[in-house]
Amino acid sequence: MPLPIRPFRRYGAALMRAAAAPVLLAVLLAGAATAQVADPVEDQSPVQDGALPPEAGSAEPSFTPLPAASLNFYGSPGGIDMPSAEMMPDGQFATTVSSFAGQTRMTLTAQVTPWMSASFRYHGMRDLNLFGFKTYYDRNFDVRFRLWRERRYLPQVALGLQDFSGTGLFGAEYIVASKRFRTPSWGGPARDGGRLMVTGGIGWGRLGSYNSIGALGTRPRFSGATSRGGEPAYDQWFRGPYALFGGIEWRPNDKLGLKLEYSSDDYVTETQTASLFNRRSPFSFGVEYQWKRHTRLGAYYLYGSEIGVAAQIQLNPRYPTRRLVVPAPYPVQPRAQWAGPPESWDTTWAESRGTVPGLRDRLTELLKRDGLVLESLEVGAETAELRYRNPRYTAHAAALGRAARALAATMPASVETFRLVPVADGMALSAVILRRSDLEALEFDPRSSAALLTVTGFADAAGRPGPEALPGAGLYPDFNWSLSHYTSPSYFDPSLPFRLDVGVDLRATWRPAPGWRISGKLRQRVWGNIKDGRLSNSVLPHVRTDTTIYAQEATTLENLYVARQWRPGRNLYARLTAGYFESMFGGLSGEILWKPVGSRLGLGLEGNYVVQRDYDQRFGFQNYDVLTGHASAYLNLGGGYEAQVDVGRYLAGDIGATFSVDRTFPNGWSLGGFFSQTNVSAARFGEGSFDKGIRFRIPLSSLLGKPSRAGLGLTIRPVQRDGAQRVYVPGRLYDQVRTAHRAGLEAGWARVWE
Amino acid sequence: MGEGLGMNLRGLSLRSAALAAAALLAVSGCSRGTDAPPTQLQLLNAARTSAGAIAGKVRRTEAPARPPLTRAALEQVQVPVLEVTVERRGDWAFLFRTLERTDSSPGRIEQWSTEDSNVTISLRGGVLIATRGLGGDLLSSAVRVSDARPGPDGGGAHRQMIRNLDYRETALALSCDLVDLGPETIEIVERRHATRHLQQRCTGGGGRVVNDYWTDPRAGLVWQSRQWAGPHLGYLSLRRLVK
Repeated sequence: MPLPIRPFRRYGAALMRAAAAPVLLAVLLAGAATAQVADPVEDQSPVQDGALPPEAGSAEPSFTPLPAASLNFYGSPGGIDMPSAEMMPDGQFATTVSSFAGQTRMTLTAQVTPWMSASFRYHGMRDLNLFGFKTYYDRNFDVRFRLWRERRYLPQVALGLQDFSGTGLFGAEYIVASKRFRTPSWGGPARDGGRLMVTGGIGWGRLGSYNSIGALGTRPRFSGATSRGGEPAYDQWFRGPYALFGGIEWRPNDKLGLKLEYSSDDYVTETQTASLFNRRSPFSFGVEYQWKRHTRLGAYYLYGSEIGVAAQIQLNPRYPTRRLVVPAPYPVQPRAQWAGPPESWDTTWAESRGTVPGLRDRLTELLKRDGLVLESLEVGAETAELRYRNPRYTAHAAALGRAARALAATMPASVETFRLVPVADGMALSAVILRRSDLEALEFDPRSSAALLTVTGFADAAGRPGPEALPGAGLYPDFNWSLSHYTSPSYFDPSLPFRLDVGVDLRATWRPAPGWRISGKLRQRVWGNIKDGRLSNSVLPHVRTDTTIYAQEATTLENLYVARQWRPGRNLYARLTAGYFESMFGGLSGEILWKPVGSRLGLGLEGNYVVQRDYDQRFGFQNYDVLTGHASAYLNLGGGYEAQVDVGRYLAGDIGATFSVDRTFPNGWSLGGFFSQTNVSAARFGEGSFDKGIRFRIPLSSLLGKPSRAGLGLTIRPVQRDGAQRVYVPGRLYDQVRTAHRAGLEAGWARVWE
Repeated sequence: MGEGLGMNLRGLSLRSAALAAAALLAVSGCSRGTDAPPTQLQLLNAARTSAGAIAGKVRRTEAPARPPLTRAALEQVQVPVLEVTVERRGDWAFLFRTLERTDSSPGRIEQWSTEDSNVTISLRGGVLIATRGLGGDLLSSAVRVSDARPGPDGGGAHRQMIRNLDYRETALALSCDLVDLGPETIEIVERRHATRHLQQRCTGGGGRVVNDYWTDPRAGLVWQSRQWAGPHLGYLSLRRLVK
């Protein structure tokens, strides 16, 4: 059905005047504010500038961030329905739920870099009757860039692409400028005074649909019924009619916000194709209130006819909800205090074999207090090599510091050099070399962390412990099991956007010897509705889209496999896995990784022969098998950014490459995105045209305030199809190795003395 | 279509979900071995703990009140005791000395620890240089002290390294003036001490900090102080109960 952009109307001139009014008002207000206190606001971050205004009622320096930019109905910084040029603080994760006129928008926005943010939105429209769905759901991506920062007299300017690759129903592009001014505070405490923000912008697409003032070429029509969506709509960007929009936000104190805006969105589809609401006026008004530290609520009167509500939840990896508290470590007692001068340190103890088991047992106890597991200990007269597992701390540096303290508390005085080797499933990850006298000298140094880093050595660890090494007492065979509940969500089914299975998982892992692992997981569903989902219409082999059929059975064997991982040589890591890897595939998998401890680059090679498992997920297989594998390059870009490229053959037999970028914070928060291009055409791929998605992970430690390596992760694909899919093999090497190498250790180095 | 299924889901879900939740809580939640428990189990355990804490609040089982301190009781204690209060939280504890040493910088270092050794604080010449186990800890500090007198020695730079909540280390540079407010007699649990009140007035990081020290140069110690431990912790009050 045709959805034309409205032609310029007769009474356009009158509306132009109406449009000019808020802009004029804004300029006047801005002028007034400037006259009062000509003091523009500047963004500050404690780490860069070391100065934020103290909190209300206090004069102490504060690292607590100022209230962040408020968000609009699209989950981007802005007024009510229109964007502003503000950016959220770096790394911010925001979830916004907004609703008016039968439309509900749920948006996840991440401030990926200080100058770029990206949003993923799920948009539901009741009674739209578009494309045959009673409630029409749309998924769309936005991206915004800051073009330049706010200066004393210059506004901040941003460019945004809204719904740039979906069906284009919400497609809009804009360039917007915002300027903030200090005002006197009113009605409550304000850390940094009141703030007035004035915004004006120019928009295309949706944002150019009301009262346009000109046109740049012609904008291809939105063709939702035929388009598969998913590909960037380059041909639409900044085309067609454009219009002006603007708004004012006054935040008189840290809690309250008042908003007024003039919208250039005519809501053609919603008001004409379907009559969801009556757009009577371009003006909207709103009141917002910071209810909790992370949550802001708002009520609005939109377009002269509708009441709207919104909730904004903003989290930042740098300011987690719970503060991590770990018990204090024990001090490093200088040897001079208990062993006399170094000349008198005896080394004859090393000759009697009986001493070492005693040392190992004491060390095991100390490590256990800190949640670490002793794998092996090799002690000579002057050196000790400790191999240990770290099941507790996100930052390997925290485990390392505690292991070093434990050694300093147990080893005879003559042992001067500590080699600390973190181990994952029997595989040595790196060797960190510390001198005991440095630990003694630097514990209370004014810059203890930085000082210790300069005298710490990082090296490749030998594949096996030395011949004299004592293994952990009674560690192997090592048997672990657990029984826990699980929840398994499924998203974006057009008939029911959120589906869920809940039940119980029984896991068991048996390690007969270092490097070997036999592991399995049995799942019993107690309740769920994923089994009622839609069936696949994919023309490719159904390697991922048969979720509904796979969800029919309540009792399933999720995985059962034997894995062996070892170090075949210097800087090399290897893994062989055989069995049922995941609910859909089983087979044989081999991987080898080259990654020097100090290198930013890692290269990996993985080959798998997999067979599709029976739908009941017991022991049987179907008759689809495939050779799949990838060559991967991992590059640490610095600052927590990591890029990965995988080239190879995917599960459906398609050949291509996956590109991904992730940003990981030292405390384990991460966010990233990926996309793949393979030799499957967009038409054969189906809805979405190619595979892509975003992923994030929130570490449990920042939710619970206790140390933990676990995290809640989510990968969101707007559409799950069969192209560019990889098998999930448990225990891929790079993730095990990365955090224990030099860059990973340095990222969390602040915790080495903690 | 969506509505119909939605209704169906809701009708079905309430009863089944309650049943499922009960069943899950009854059976789930155990793990054995050297591995960390699975994520879901860690979450469940935390939920149980906080449910217990909430139930405790509902039942009004309050934290034990601060015991009344008497000098007679303190006379029984044979080791040095330091009382530390985290003002912002109202938490307090008695700390015992676990380490005394020197290093290449001036000032005698003392580390004090709670009885369960979960929290320690470290002082150099009576000036706070580190905390552990409080969360958002003070990792290390550059302070001006001398071997001759307890407390800060003159004004100047006072730099604190703060462990931020994202595990990064942030340097907070304060510049301080030291003011000698003269002799002052203070009382700590029925015992009076003749002290000299030193006040360190610092600015930096966008704010102001005032540290107070009641020092006893003859005994070579700081009897009482109120010191700032960084933006995440705020002020700590320290009182030496037993010398």
